[in-house]
Amino acid sequence: MNGLLQQDVNKETFTINLGPQHPATHGVLRVKLVMDGEYIVEAEPVLGYIHRMHEKMGENRTWAKFLPNCGRMDYLSAMSYNHGYVAAVERAAAIEVPERAEYLRVITVEMNRISSHLLWFGAFVLDLGGFTPLLYAFDDRELILDLLESVTGSRLTYCYFRFGGVYNDIDDAFIAGTREFIKRQRKRMPMYDALVTKNIILIKRLKEIGHISKDMAIRYGATGPVARGSGINYDVRKNEPYSVYPEFDFDVPVYEEGDSMARYMVRMDEIEQSMRIIEQALDKLPEGEIKPKKAIKLVKPEKGDYYHAVEAARGSFGVRLVSDGKNQAYRLKLRSPTYSNLSLYGEATKGMLLPDALALMGSLDLVIPEIDR
Amino acid sequence: MLLAKIKEALSSLYENIQETEETPDADAAAAVEAEDTAVASAAEEVQAEETAPEQEESKPEEVAEPEEPAPPPGPKETDYKAKGYHLDVDLPPEKLPEAAEILLREDFFIESITGVDWIDDEQLEAVYDFNHFDELCRVVLRTRTDRENPAIPTISHIYQGANWHERETHDFFGIKFIDHPNLEPLLLPEDADFHPLLKDFKA
Amino acid sequence: MGNEVVQPPIIHFDTLDKILGLGRANSLWPMTFGLACCAIEMMATGAARFDLARFGAEVFRPSPRQCDVMIVAGTISKKMEPAVKTLYDQMPEPKWVIAMGNCAISGGPFVFEGQYGIVEGADKFLPVDVYIPGCPPRPEALIEGILELEEKVTGHRRWPRVEAK
Repeated sequence: MNGLLQQDVNKETFTINLGPQHPATHGVLRVKLVMDGEYIVEAEPVLGYIHRMHEKMGENRTWAKFLPNCGRMDYLSAMSYNHGYVAAVERAAAIEVPERAEYLRVITVEMNRISSHLLWFGAFVLDLGGFTPLLYAFDDRELILDLLESVTGSRLTYCYFRFGGVYNDIDDAFIAGTREFIKRQRKRMPMYDALVTKNIILIKRLKEIGHISKDMAIRYGATGPVARGSGINYDVRKNEPYSVYPEFDFDVPVYEEGDSMARYMVRMDEIEQSMRIIEQALDKLPEGEIKPKKAIKLVKPEKGDYYHAVEAARGSFGVRLVSDGKNQAYRLKLRSPTYSNLSLYGEATKGMLLPDALALMGSLDLVIPEIDR
Repeated sequence: MLLAKIKEALSSLYENIQETEETPDADAAAAVEAEDTAVASAAEEVQAEETAPEQEESKPEEVAEPEEPAPPPGPKETDYKAKGYHLDVDLPPEKLPEAAEILLREDFFIESITGVDWIDDEQLEAVYDFNHFDELCRVVLRTRTDRENPAIPTISHIYQGANWHERETHDFFGIKFIDHPNLEPLLLPEDADFHPLLKDFKA
Repeated sequence: MGNEVVQPPIIHFDTLDKILGLGRANSLWPMTFGLACCAIEMMATGAARFDLARFGAEVFRPSPRQCDVMIVAGTISKKMEPAVKTLYDQMPEPKWVIAMGNCAISGGPFVFEGQYGIVEGADKFLPVDVYIPGCPPRPEALIEGILELEEKVTGHRRWPRVEAK
């Protein structure tokens, strides 16, 4: 009896709750933590606090009426989500897209990717305790938002793509502004590098923290910067090219270590690669239509099921649509990359310290409404 | 290369459906292991011989060919440009864990699991998407189950990521995954007892 | 549901009330309650370009015990509703609620026939003082909402309304 009590006291664990309301950034995520002192014994994310029924709405709304929903799933890289849905429907209904529209799509998607990574950067360092990079990142981001607002009309939840093209053309002011932005950003990135990336506190908090192995990525289906930080060279833009990505010359940053620092470096390098793509796209931008010549009145995909994947800022976003020939989807499945990325949180945080687990959560780049859909 | 290899490996599952309709699955599993590297021609022969055993399940006496030429069961290659995936595999629910083991051995990663409610056929379908990191090859596994008592064996002991996907499919459609460690609601409130994505769901 | 009965004070000090009102209005401390997309616009309002700090409202506190105003930014789902109510109850008096964005006003773009998951508006269970429409509202709109709240607290507006010519 005495021995049993001794055993209990030494191994006493308690359960605490992280969330669902915690400092802005991620959203409403609740994590049930079973702790032994400062060490995590078990971590279980609880979802569903922002479940907004996108898949049910896919069945209730016509193909075109679902477009505004795409921007609200992952609002930080809404253009990629637009692209994924529109490309899936175009594949199902065999709609051709004019070349200029494809280039405009790529330019806006890549600008959105940069703004998403900048916000991730600010919020991640805020989680680790540094407040200042957030203000600098938001400052850079506001320039992108101004440019995109002049073309699409919205700052955050874009609804710019239509079936067969985009709805508004760009003008010279946009092109000049984008080149100006790229020039300015190329001067800012070394500043971030020197002040944040080479900061000894950041290095100590991120290096060798939160190891995710390649085998774990396969069993959980992790994609995007989470997989590329673990040595897996998988980018939908290169492995499964869509749109006009084959015409651009860009690298895919891959780091082998698998710790939080590797994922951080992958995203910082991706900002530069996105800028390269935008420059090449602006140089090669062809003249032409941005919508198909014959206006599409009614979209009627053939019966059957189709799949299309694009590379969003957080991984491979897939749309599986089952159509029965009508004006609405029979079933619309949205494969969200963060869903698979977060599912490995329970296994990856076993035995970690709580602050390290939060650093790992930040490096996974979560946007909870995308998980809950 | 990879597509042909995985098609061979998965088609060996179908031989056992035809040969061992009454024998237990343990023998079938051993047979699968031994015949994993079966020659393609042998597999094709077997597929050509038995023309749709699933259709003939209700009529075991009839050995004659069915009226319409049904495609032989087995992994079907699809037109990637039109559909977006390479291999379409239709399996009965019991064969799913074996198929998942074959795919894990070849380093496929699980992309998503979802359900579709075919209310006219009175069936629920579960669709599994797999992909490969090194060489693009999308494999889709499908399985159908009865709408009244839907039950499918889990693959979450093979692919841990399937744990959440199966919980979500259970939330939305009510499909019970046998031997799943923790089939609680994931996206719906904990006390939810409704399955919203069924076609006859009324709020 | 959406009204709150607050006991009026027994003794009124007019000038003191005015001073207290001025003090409260110019140092509203919001709670970080970003649920969805509107949260990003709330963060952008607190950042360098739009700068909510000039109105005294920069200090976003995570803990409800230290806040005056709860900016409900985003969709409230049925699973989240008890948590929101708990947080509101934990805030000390005097407290205000701003409903930011279409989802917090009336459910937003997620209302459809047969919807099963969201609460159609924060005013179904909270007393809302200011409504800011938009999906998401621009940061300038959030600033205007804060100014409206200040007007509600003190009785006069910080600077005159802009007339369109």
